Amino acid sequence: MPEKITAYRFDYLDETLSQLNKEDCAIVAGGTDVMVLHKSGRGVPPKIPKPVVFIDHLSELKRVYQKDKDLHIGSCSTYGELLENPLIPIALKNAIKTIAAPAIRNRGTLGGNICNASPAGDTLPLLYVYNAKLLLRSVNGDRVVAISDFIQAPRRIGRNHNEILAEIILPSVLEEGSHVVFEKIGNRNADAIAKVSFAGYIRISNERIDDIRFAFGAVGPTMVRSIDIEKKLLGKPFPLSETDIDSIVADFDQIIRPIDDQRSTAVYRKTVALNLLRYFLNTSQYQPN
Amino acid sequence: MRLKDISTPVPKKDHKDKVSGQLPYISDVKVDNMVYGVLYRSPIAYGKIKSIYVPTLPEGYDVVGAEDIPGPNYVKIIKQDQPIFANEWVNYIGEPILMLVGKDLNTLYGLRDKVKVEFEEHQPIYTLDEAIDQISSASFVSYEFGKGLDIISAIEQDAHQIVEEEYTTGYQEHVYLEPQGMLAVYKDDEIVVHGSMQALYYIKNALLSALACGDDEVRVVQSPTGGGFGGKEEFPSMMACHVAIAANAVKKSVMLVFDRHEDMVVTTKRHPAKFKYRTALDKEGNILSMCVDVFLDGGANEGLSSVVLQRSLLNSAGVYNIPHFHAKGHVLKTNTVPNGAFRGFGAPQSFAGIESHMGHLSKYAQLDPLEYKRKYLVKQGDPTITKGNFRDPILMEEMIEDLLDASDYNKKKEEFQRFNQQNLRYKKGIGTSVFLHGCGFTGSGERDHIKATVKLVKSKDGKVLLKISNSDMGQGIYTTLSKIVAKELDLPLEQVSYPDPDTKEVPDSGPTVASRTTMIVGKLLERAAKKLKAEWKSGEEQEVFEHYVHREMIPWDEKTFTGDAYPAYSWGVNFVEVEVDTLTGIVKLEKVYGNYEVGKAIDDRIMKGQIDGGLAQGLAYGYLEKMTTKQGKIQQKSISDYGPPTSLDVVPIESKLFDNPYADGPSGAKGAGELTLIGGAPAVQSAIEDALQTSFQQIPVTAEVIMESLERKLVNRVD
Ligand SMILES: Cc1cc2nc3c(=O)[nH]c(=O)nc-3n(C[C@H](O)[C@H](O)[C@H](O)COP(=O)(O)OP(=O)(O)OC[C@H]3O[C@@H](n4cnc5c(N)ncnc54)[C@H](O)[C@@H]3O)c2cc1C
Repeated sequence: MPEKITAYRFDYLDETLSQLNKEDCAIVAGGTDVMVLHKSGRGVPPKIPKPVVFIDHLSELKRVYQKDKDLHIGSCSTYGELLENPLIPIALKNAIKTIAAPAIRNRGTLGGNICNASPAGDTLPLLYVYNAKLLLRSVNGDRVVAISDFIQAPRRIGRNHNEILAEIILPSVLEEGSHVVFEKIGNRNADAIAKVSFAGYIRISNERIDDIRFAFGAVGPTMVRSIDIEKKLLGKPFPLSETDIDSIVADFDQIIRPIDDQRSTAVYRKTVALNLLRYFLNTSQYQPN
Repeated sequence: MRLKDISTPVPKKDHKDKVSGQLPYISDVKVDNMVYGVLYRSPIAYGKIKSIYVPTLPEGYDVVGAEDIPGPNYVKIIKQDQPIFANEWVNYIGEPILMLVGKDLNTLYGLRDKVKVEFEEHQPIYTLDEAIDQISSASFVSYEFGKGLDIISAIEQDAHQIVEEEYTTGYQEHVYLEPQGMLAVYKDDEIVVHGSMQALYYIKNALLSALACGDDEVRVVQSPTGGGFGGKEEFPSMMACHVAIAANAVKKSVMLVFDRHEDMVVTTKRHPAKFKYRTALDKEGNILSMCVDVFLDGGANEGLSSVVLQRSLLNSAGVYNIPHFHAKGHVLKTNTVPNGAFRGFGAPQSFAGIESHMGHLSKYAQLDPLEYKRKYLVKQGDPTITKGNFRDPILMEEMIEDLLDASDYNKKKEEFQRFNQQNLRYKKGIGTSVFLHGCGFTGSGERDHIKATVKLVKSKDGKVLLKISNSDMGQGIYTTLSKIVAKELDLPLEQVSYPDPDTKEVPDSGPTVASRTTMIVGKLLERAAKKLKAEWKSGEEQEVFEHYVHREMIPWDEKTFTGDAYPAYSWGVNFVEVEVDTLTGIVKLEKVYGNYEVGKAIDDRIMKGQIDGGLAQGLAYGYLEKMTTKQGKIQQKSISDYGPPTSLDVVPIESKLFDNPYADGPSGAKGAGELTLIGGAPAVQSAIEDALQTSFQQIPVTAEVIMESLERKLVNRVD
């Protein structure tokens, strides 16, 4: 006999938050990570050790809107929905298109990808270079944290038990003039877990670097990003000199420490991560997008 | 529907049930008084069992093991080396030791966690290389044939140069959509085993041995089978023994179904292989002699490996007439999951190797690889490497010419060269493969071992039933074999049906393997239909039988490895265009072409299914699918980690068929199922080599392999 479980599905976010305040629950958005994480052997239903609270239907968590130059994305927006939304930046759409396959993209959410905090989460490198901020909501009100502070380790996030991730804020993303790329390297073109991924962001004015950011996925416990290394390039003339490029690549060579696993090798991951970085730094022509 | 040209496609007989999702596969079935089984498997690679502890079981739960086997404790295949339940030695991680049975799977998993087995551990052999180092003790079987080594020695003495190459191929996993499953239905007077399978009588014979029972006490029924690719040739015999022995012991029906994870780590795989080539060349790069050593990783027991090795050796010279050819091969034991049948059965490894080697040799002659290969193509009337004869017309030249045209090969080569000079990141290349496949069982297998019989039953109202033991596993024989019979009897297709085979009803027409079903069983059915037509009596029930007749050919001698190894061959040519990302090693297929000669296609669309599926599987074997072991453990336990191609990895395959009707095949048809896989890997490897102007000595040529090679090139340039 399957064991009984408690599950909540409230009509409104308020009620959901007050339940979360009373009881530590397993939040289920699209469930595409939760169901895999708690999978049992064949013929036995998944075992989720806490009461379940469904949030994927809450319209409060599905809004996508612009506020000043910032983009606000509701955490329960599915990938399928985001692909259709004209406000979502092309680079993010490109990243989303590399995720899973249409069936999973119809369920999986941006909030789920963040809260799952996998080193191979495919939206994460871009969210890092967008300096994404996360709006967490609880009965006590809202608080905003940087994504790089929120994600602490694989599957470990700085969320209090009574909080829900309500929105992902991409500051100034709707401003003109930046160029953003995302590259995902998997073993095949769909339904693949990243072996390496790279996001790069650059803004140039008067042939000098105004802003530049990089993040690498699947080469460490969380995204690899270094503000210190980025700072070295601010104000540099663009195109960059060979020496500048070499020195940035050498800096990352020091801090990227991937592992061998069943999907790839540490050597491969590192080589490709540095190749993609060098390629990004080398590209002399950028079309703003 | 009446059939005019047999090649004209018709809707598949099982189409509606499949696309509507209504067809019950074995895991959908529930019967009265049914319990589930879960297997306790060896956690170590090699050792002796010292003691087995089983926790106290609740009411209704039982343990089944070696002592419950009425007959001898081995799965009857070829050798007696595969225990049904290991009770003395274990030889690989995952080897079944005992089975727990009961109503609730959750309870069974909990109980299984409490089983404890103590072992005396021994030093395992984990890899093929380790086994090669201990070849005298690790060899299961070996064969050697061809030109005398003294003659070859003399040629090598005078040769301009000797080229030596080593080449390795990896595992391949079948990834049939439906994981393995078996159900033994317990009845007072018989045990009926239902399941996903390719070889009903292999299972029946294994059960007769394990249960030590009479012929009418056990019955095997094929349930709808969601893919096999060879993975359901011999492996299901072991599962059938497990459920039947358990049913017999507990007097209940027993169901055993694997989930994907269990299926991936314990079922048979394609044999990893190593090839050593030693070729003597003259000044112009012409081949004077060639020696090939083949090593197959058999895994923990022999299974079908000896036969796989035979096919591997028989294809070791590819489609070439090589002067002074010598080959030798071994199957070696390692303490890893047993390897077994897989579409192509040893040939894909050999073709990957020889096509690679020939491609590399072409450089010594300063010729394009395809041009070099064409100089050595076998022609009608040429001897085979086993002193047999290619007695039927060979259309390879026409097929190659056609693809040179269709792909605009020469122009493309120039275009790619220009592109590659300009583009620093992406490089394009085009590669080719030429190949054949021997149809039916190797050697005298059909005549001496299989001895196929088919039966047709006609009802009073003029409906005709096919009574044969072959499995439709998705490849479409429900449809194609019915078409053959309908055509010969001049009946509408709807009047001919082919029920799920049941050994109580059908004679042994052989297993559904070796690209034999259409050509061999189809021909028997055609002859049976002809006979039935001649004897047709309206309003009466009639039965006709037909038995296998061997084609007149040079008798096969397995000891000397001489004679005609196959009655007939099917042929193919692949061209593949790729773009390689030199920053990441990612290979993108751009265009894929295939020309095939399979005698005559029984149904063009079903044939297209074989081409597209086979080629996708073959291409992936060459660059995408990667399975490895670490300390005897399979590392890739999920489909996404293993990485078979998705629809986004494959491009539309431009294929064409060349008719060349074969007299001993129904309507002229030969085998087609395995052929289509064989050319994929070598063609994609040579395309990658062309793009990067480098050579590889292994498949799969993964992104990791490519990056390693590019890095090496870079280091060399800097030095
Ligand atoms: C077949 C398959 C393929 C996949 N392929 C990819 C891929 O290519 N790339 C990739 O990155 N991922 C992939 N995934 C993983 C998964 O689909 C994504 O991570 C997805 O974004 C998860 O979203 P979800 O809504 O389904 O999360 P859920 O499973 O519902 O939740 C994931 C975690 O986040 C928590 N959570 C979710 N929403 C909130 C919220 N608003 N507030 C607080 N906590 C929350 C949950 O409690 C849980 O811990 C794949 C999964 C599957 C099954």
